[in-house]
Amino acid sequence: MMDRRWLSVLVIAAAVTAVWNLATFRVNEWQRALVIQLGKPLDRDTTAAGLYFKVPFIQNVVYFDKRLLDYDAQPREVLTIDKQQLVIDNYSRWRIIDPLRFYQTVRNEPGAQSRLDDIIYSNLRENLGRNELREIVGNKRSTLMDQVAERSNAKMTDYGIEVVDVRIKRADLPEKNQENVFNRMKTERERQAKKFRAEGEEEARKVRSKADKEKEILMAEARRDADVLRGEGDALAVRIFAEAYNRDPEFYQFVRTLEAYRRSLSEGTTAVMSPDSEFFRILKDGAAPR
Amino acid sequence: MWNQLRRRYEGGDGTFQLPSPWPILAIGLVVYALTGIYIVAPDERAVVLRFGAVVREQGPGPGYHIPWPIEEVYKPSVTQVRKEEFGFRSVLGGSREQPTEALMLTGDQNIVKLQFIVQYRVKAEPDGPRNFLFNVRDQRGTVRGAAEVAMRDVIGNTTIDDALTQGKELIQQDAQETLQKILDSYDSGVEIVTVKLMNVDPPEPVEDAFKDVINAQQDRERLINNASGYANAVIPQARGEAAQLLNEALAYKEAKVAQANGAGQRFIALYDEYVKAKDVTRQRLYLETLEDVLPRMNKILIDERAGGQVVPYLPLDQLRVPAPEQVRAAGVPQEAQETK
Repeated sequence: MMDRRWLSVLVIAAAVTAVWNLATFRVNEWQRALVIQLGKPLDRDTTAAGLYFKVPFIQNVVYFDKRLLDYDAQPREVLTIDKQQLVIDNYSRWRIIDPLRFYQTVRNEPGAQSRLDDIIYSNLRENLGRNELREIVGNKRSTLMDQVAERSNAKMTDYGIEVVDVRIKRADLPEKNQENVFNRMKTERERQAKKFRAEGEEEARKVRSKADKEKEILMAEARRDADVLRGEGDALAVRIFAEAYNRDPEFYQFVRTLEAYRRSLSEGTTAVMSPDSEFFRILKDGAAPR
Repeated sequence: MWNQLRRRYEGGDGTFQLPSPWPILAIGLVVYALTGIYIVAPDERAVVLRFGAVVREQGPGPGYHIPWPIEEVYKPSVTQVRKEEFGFRSVLGGSREQPTEALMLTGDQNIVKLQFIVQYRVKAEPDGPRNFLFNVRDQRGTVRGAAEVAMRDVIGNTTIDDALTQGKELIQQDAQETLQKILDSYDSGVEIVTVKLMNVDPPEPVEDAFKDVINAQQDRERLINNASGYANAVIPQARGEAAQLLNEALAYKEAKVAQANGAGQRFIALYDEYVKAKDVTRQRLYLETLEDVLPRMNKILIDERAGGQVVPYLPLDQLRVPAPEQVRAAGVPQEAQETK
């Protein structure tokens, strides 16, 4: 026979657990809850987190995530207005704002994902198809995405969903177009390399020719100055000679002629002479004075 | 001992008697109550939930909450920095590339290979931990996605040359700003510590062409340097040559003048003597000169009058090469007489 006290403790514990589990439910900070009574969702406000009561067995609770949820699409090709293929990998952040409507229309998250997929992709394709590749990749990207998010959001409110944003993670060219880009990049670089080398050549030639020019000028000036100096020397010499020889030009001529004889009449020169010459005068006429 | 216990709990009829539940229940309650004690580490912030709703937050130190299932505590670290890699994954002893993540289109429609990391942590401001815990389901995925968006957005507005060279700082800064803005728009409670570009390279297929541009730049410098070297050598050399020319000319001038002075002085000296006895000096100079000159020469003396009758025959070919000894041995007057 069991102890009465023990029995009462166990009975009370079981009763508390049963009531706790069947008649209350808790909504966590990150959740929304929907109370369903015999298959029919009740319009009950359970926005705030905390403890709520329900009728056991008749009422069931379905939970939804209140947090920002993630929708990551498969990369897909989009055609831009300038007929370029772009591989777009986009994502979207969304949250459930109306659990009742959400439950009625898409029921659960996978259902919501496929609906998001349809709506966001069609908006994306439409919006990007009206723009050029350059704009999508560059400066217009965020505005375009804001538009897509806004339009998608407008459609998704019917499903109790708020589309917070739509963003392009990657916008890349398909493989075959990448090749073209690489080729273009290559030729572009080759052009640059050629330009640099040609510039080097140009600059080098300039420097060299400038040096050569300076050298020529320097040398020509030096030659000119040298000639001037030589001329000055010659002139000065002539003046000095003239000053000296002008004292008796006839005597100078005489002396200078003698000197010239000394220099020009060298060994082996044959002279045919007449005894009548001044030198042989005495030889011929004897020592008598003239 | 065992017998004692048996006696204590066995009824008189020999059946097993349970002990009283109250002390056990009391002990159980105390232990249960003690499970509510928690300690918040210095790098953490505690968020206490009652029935799933936030009731209070607390900084580092010990604390107490009503035990589960009434209250719970979450303690996210607010100083721990988490890291995400893009374009590559660190593996043991190196890293592996992730080409689809790394290749990006630039604003001038080139493709650049870019690897970067993002470091983030829970925002330290009051609502940070709470937002981090309850606002976003997949924090890591959200940071990753937003980081890719931010970086591609920035690169999409940058030229490839900027991305490869001087624009790195700016790209990091812009990407961090954009990323933080996106995450703030989610109230994610995430704070970006840093966005850091690890590698920015041209993609493999065009790598060589890019390297060649750098080589070409160096070639240009080299050509210019060579030319400057040439100029630096040529111009001083020319200056030297010019100076040499000038000096030579100067020397010529000075020599010429000195020579002229010397010759002039000499003539003047001679002239001064000559004036004193004109005829004698003149005669002497003449004779002295011939005396000097004639011994070295071959001489043929022909009388004019004889020359008129006799056909003077000059054996020119024999005269040309006279025996030197003969000439030297003969004195002037003697030779003249002989010839005559």
